Amino acid sequence: MNMLRILIFGVVVLAQLAVPAAMVWQREQTLNHGRVWKFRTAPVDPVDVIRGRYIALRFAAEEFTAPTKFEAGDNSVYAVLKEGADRFAEIDHLTTEAVRTDDAVPVESVWWSGSKQHVRLPFNKFWVAEANAAAAERAYAENNRRDNQNAYVTVRVRDGDAALDQLYIDNQPLSDYLRAHSPR
Amino acid sequence: MAGIRNRRAIRWLQSQLPELVASGVITSDAARAIDRHYQQDQLRSNFAFALLAALGSALVAAGIILLIAHNWDELGRATRTAIAFLPLLIAQALVVFTLMRRNDSRPWRETAAIFDVAAVATAISLISQTYQLQGTFADFMRTWLLLSIPIVYLLRTTLGAIAYVIGSALWLFARWGMLSSAGNPMLFWVLLMLVIPYVVIRFRRDPDSRETATLAIIMALAALFGVGATAEFADANVGVIAYAGLSTAIYLCGMKLFPQPSGRLHLLAVLGGIAIGVVAIVLSFESSWHMTHHVSSARRSWPANVAVVVELLFPVAAVCLASFDLLRRRAKFSLSAALLPVVTAVAWAIANLCEFPNDRWQSTRCSFAAATVMNCYALLLGIDILARGIRTNSIARANFGLLLIAALAICRFFDSDLSFVTRGIGFIVVGVGFLVANVLLFKRRTAS
Repeated sequence: MNMLRILIFGVVVLAQLAVPAAMVWQREQTLNHGRVWKFRTAPVDPVDVIRGRYIALRFAAEEFTAPTKFEAGDNSVYAVLKEGADRFAEIDHLTTEAVRTDDAVPVESVWWSGSKQHVRLPFNKFWVAEANAAAAERAYAENNRRDNQNAYVTVRVRDGDAALDQLYIDNQPLSDYLRAHSPR
Repeated sequence: MAGIRNRRAIRWLQSQLPELVASGVITSDAARAIDRHYQQDQLRSNFAFALLAALGSALVAAGIILLIAHNWDELGRATRTAIAFLPLLIAQALVVFTLMRRNDSRPWRETAAIFDVAAVATAISLISQTYQLQGTFADFMRTWLLLSIPIVYLLRTTLGAIAYVIGSALWLFARWGMLSSAGNPMLFWVLLMLVIPYVVIRFRRDPDSRETATLAIIMALAALFGVGATAEFADANVGVIAYAGLSTAIYLCGMKLFPQPSGRLHLLAVLGGIAIGVVAIVLSFESSWHMTHHVSSARRSWPANVAVVVELLFPVAAVCLASFDLLRRRAKFSLSAALLPVVTAVAWAIANLCEFPNDRWQSTRCSFAAATVMNCYALLLGIDILARGIRTNSIARANFGLLLIAALAICRFFDSDLSFVTRGIGFIVVGVGFLVANVLLFKRRTAS
């Protein structure tokens, strides 16, 4: 009976290790081999920037002009990406066909208002250190205003899996920026 | 306390027993009696110790999670990943040790279980932070619960099972609150089903223990929330029947599975009884029967249809439970309470006979008739419970019956067009009923 318990627990151990390990593996694959896309962040309501210990991200690419409303029904929606003139990612078009390439990402939700198509990209939280949270919020808000749009994220995309890599403020990774601008 | 103070001495004494019997110092009956005496003592002290051990390890585990959540920026991805797995590996080793060497010790099992479950959460959280993984709180809860449920069985931890049920309810709230339109809550029932075999094992082994009762009550409370979420998701206007069925099923299970001596009621039966009373009173309002009527124009999805089936399982189960005992003439429950799902179904059928006007605020002849049925039922239920209370000499039950009648009277005071004279007389009758019933009961009690 006890041996059986230990054997069953062996299977449980494998499952308990496999779930986080699979998360790591998939992200490592995407981060190492995925195509790099730069997404310019969009201005957000300053009160809404930090929730818990992550920065809530919005992107300029999440809103684009489209001639007609995109109808998805109950299907999953994918955004096919293209690089704009400024080298930042833009959404080329939306599709309901499962795309497993390095230039398409699944989107969380789709809505339409005022001849503009809106989508919610699946990488919208940037986890930050608790100690840095306040400084990060300030830095992101200051560099993400309508008169000073100076923030972007890099995202690696591989086979339809999008991995948020880094948040850049003034062309520096967030942690470097905070270190350079911290009052000593 | 002897069990804790002299555990080593007891173990020594127990090991000496066969020798003492063999040498004829004591009889084998005496040896068995000694053995049994110390076993009971140990069991009693074990429970308190298990609770304290569980609390202690929960605090340590929470501390570890907070430390990890601090999110050390200075460490690289590889280091942080290693740290994420470290507590998990230690906890798993502890579980193996417990299973091999301390399998009979409850404190060890509870402690190892809490450590392992917390370590799984730590690993997932830290990796989510390290790799900027997205996903909602509900997603996190789902993974965590599914990875933790085997531990409940392997380490036979009832506290763990209670925590698991609470966790499933948290998943439900996270899912329910997250979307403006009701999210699909069917996984909640799957999660709950996964723990049911454990509840059955627990019940077979130890039906009278406080933990088994707590587990059953927590399950019942979680199911009440589950039915709410399911009814909202199904959007099929049968939520009232589902609630009536669930309340009755809880009451019947409480009466059947946890019989109490001398006419007392188990807490589960009390919970079911209160739920039955609340459902009856709520449905006695006419607005309950036309305001909820709302059929969305969208095509029904199959998960929504499954949700309707789940909703209808509860009244069916309640009716089956009641009929089973009635047919074998072993019914100890209040028949009027058990009738709630049937009466609700009849009222529902009446309410849906009429065409509904576009304005949901507007009542129809049918909704009035349905409310009348429920009013009569609630009144009969109150009288029946009152009568049972007087018969079994139970002040609490009698007053619950009176409370039901009074609640019904108060509700009708506010929403009916009866004249003030009629309302006044109604209140006097109920008030006099309260006084007379209590005086009668107290007199009888002092006499006996």
